[in-house]
Amino acid sequence: MTLTHRAFLYTGREEFLAGTTAFLRDGLERGAAAVAVARPENVAALRAALAEHDGAVEFYDATEFYRHPVRTLKSYLDLVERLAPQRVHAVAEPVWDGHDAERRAEWIRYESLINEVFADTGASALCPYDRRTLPAEVLASTRVTHPVVIDGAERRSPDYVAPRAFGERRERARRVERPPGAEYLPIVSDDLRPLRSFVAARARAGGLPETAVRNLVTAANEVAANALAHGSPPMGAWVWNDDGEINCEIGDNGHWRPDPLTGFVPPKSALDTGFGLWTVRLLVDYVEMRGGWDGTFVRLRICR
Amino acid sequence: MTDTLWSVRRPVGDLRPGDHACLAYRCEEERRHVVGAFVRDGLLAREKVVYLSAVAAPRVPGVVSLPSRRLLSVITLDGDPRAALGRLAAEISAAERAGFRAIRVATDLTGADPESLLGCERTLDRLVAPSTSVVALCQLDRSRLPAGPLEELGAEHAVLAGPDPDFEDTVLRIVRTFEPRGLALAGELDASRHLVLDQALALVLSGADGADVHLDVAELRFIDLGALNMLAEVAARRAHHGPLILDRMPAQLQEVIMTVGWNMLPGLRLGAAFSPAGRPERWG
Repeated sequence: MTLTHRAFLYTGREEFLAGTTAFLRDGLERGAAAVAVARPENVAALRAALAEHDGAVEFYDATEFYRHPVRTLKSYLDLVERLAPQRVHAVAEPVWDGHDAERRAEWIRYESLINEVFADTGASALCPYDRRTLPAEVLASTRVTHPVVIDGAERRSPDYVAPRAFGERRERARRVERPPGAEYLPIVSDDLRPLRSFVAARARAGGLPETAVRNLVTAANEVAANALAHGSPPMGAWVWNDDGEINCEIGDNGHWRPDPLTGFVPPKSALDTGFGLWTVRLLVDYVEMRGGWDGTFVRLRICR
Repeated sequence: MTDTLWSVRRPVGDLRPGDHACLAYRCEEERRHVVGAFVRDGLLAREKVVYLSAVAAPRVPGVVSLPSRRLLSVITLDGDPRAALGRLAAEISAAERAGFRAIRVATDLTGADPESLLGCERTLDRLVAPSTSVVALCQLDRSRLPAGPLEELGAEHAVLAGPDPDFEDTVLRIVRTFEPRGLALAGELDASRHLVLDQALALVLSGADGADVHLDVAELRFIDLGALNMLAEVAARRAHHGPLILDRMPAQLQEVIMTVGWNMLPGLRLGAAFSPAGRPERWG
């Protein structure tokens, strides 16, 4: 059961409703579970337009649903599993307001990951994009992240890039050197208490709220425990403050070459092998992994 | 019965000469665990152990094969507490003369009437408190003593004995709990100490016989993802039994688990709420 993942470019409420209601009605007729995740004004309009299907469609506020890409993937997966054996027909409208370029790029990557995570679910997703309000870069990205784009007419996208290749491109694009002022702590034993206090003290001094400090400490501890279990010495952690964003990079001398999809596919439970890295991604804003001639490096960034 | 201002809590292994301690136990397992350690450690260290009992032929906790009369003496009340305490005083003097560096007295007077119990405790206190060699551990059965007398008897003791930690270093402490059955964790838990937790858990689970097992995490300041994974594994291995229940979880741990999602941790449940005052009740 393959996934159908289409971008739907629209102008104005009328075109939005025409496309999304036809899609959801079609889903209901086929016996699928109809779900709509959209911005509040669009949810209200959809509810009104689908009044005759009252109760048959699940509605969600996108501003709640799209908080963190890793969490959103998991929420959709939970939804698909809960509604099984019914297939899911979902209107899935991401939120693009208020993001800087980097966060926008992460949400674009998220759209690409949909193709991987839901590949075998038989789900059908229609992702509305507002031509009038969204930046050109976001509109252009739909052709790379969706195999099919509806822009007036429905067409297979010749620019579509598979998620793994997309991820590699993204990782290459954002390589930034560590600043010379980064503070360093060598990791010399499996007792990681010194690392936790090193990271916590600098995160607090950098003005991170206490929850974010704890999340970063838990994530850094996990990456370091991984390095201890699978990497090679010497190992250590660098921490620096990049204009209010706390960066923590754990490095070891091993030669792990992370797959660009590592940690994005949600585990079923804590018993799955991918649980640790998936949770690390969930706990911080950005995770960058790099394997090179000089070792393996995992950088955690957080500014919440 | 509550902690009094002058009472100190101490693991049984930390009792010192001059300590007149009591253990108000809730179940037989707790009694055998704590009193067993008291008796066993004494015998292993070649110290004198005197067991004072209200029943005729008591099973002394911590004793596998009966040790020599020189090391272990058992005194029974035989309906005459005054005479029994006289024999106890004589045993203590004899042991001191024989050159024992320490003398451990364990009493199990369950069944004796509370009035004479109180008299025994006062006599015992006069023997122990000024001594530089005698340490006493009195067992009080909560299930058989009414609240008033339990309170009164408890107040006769300056020290409240508890179990020795299953594990303790500068980072993590693991102590058995009995009602509810489980472990109390304090400090920080990371990969370097997964193994000791696994071992302590295995011990508790092996005797749990399918019942719920609780982890009191009120004093746990950090738990790593690997430990959550380990606990989920333990819970999964006994899937047909009760869950692992995490009691009194501090807000900061709860936050991390909420981020991960409880649905990621099948077999783990949140139990009693956190109470910042520390142990909610020790006696009642």
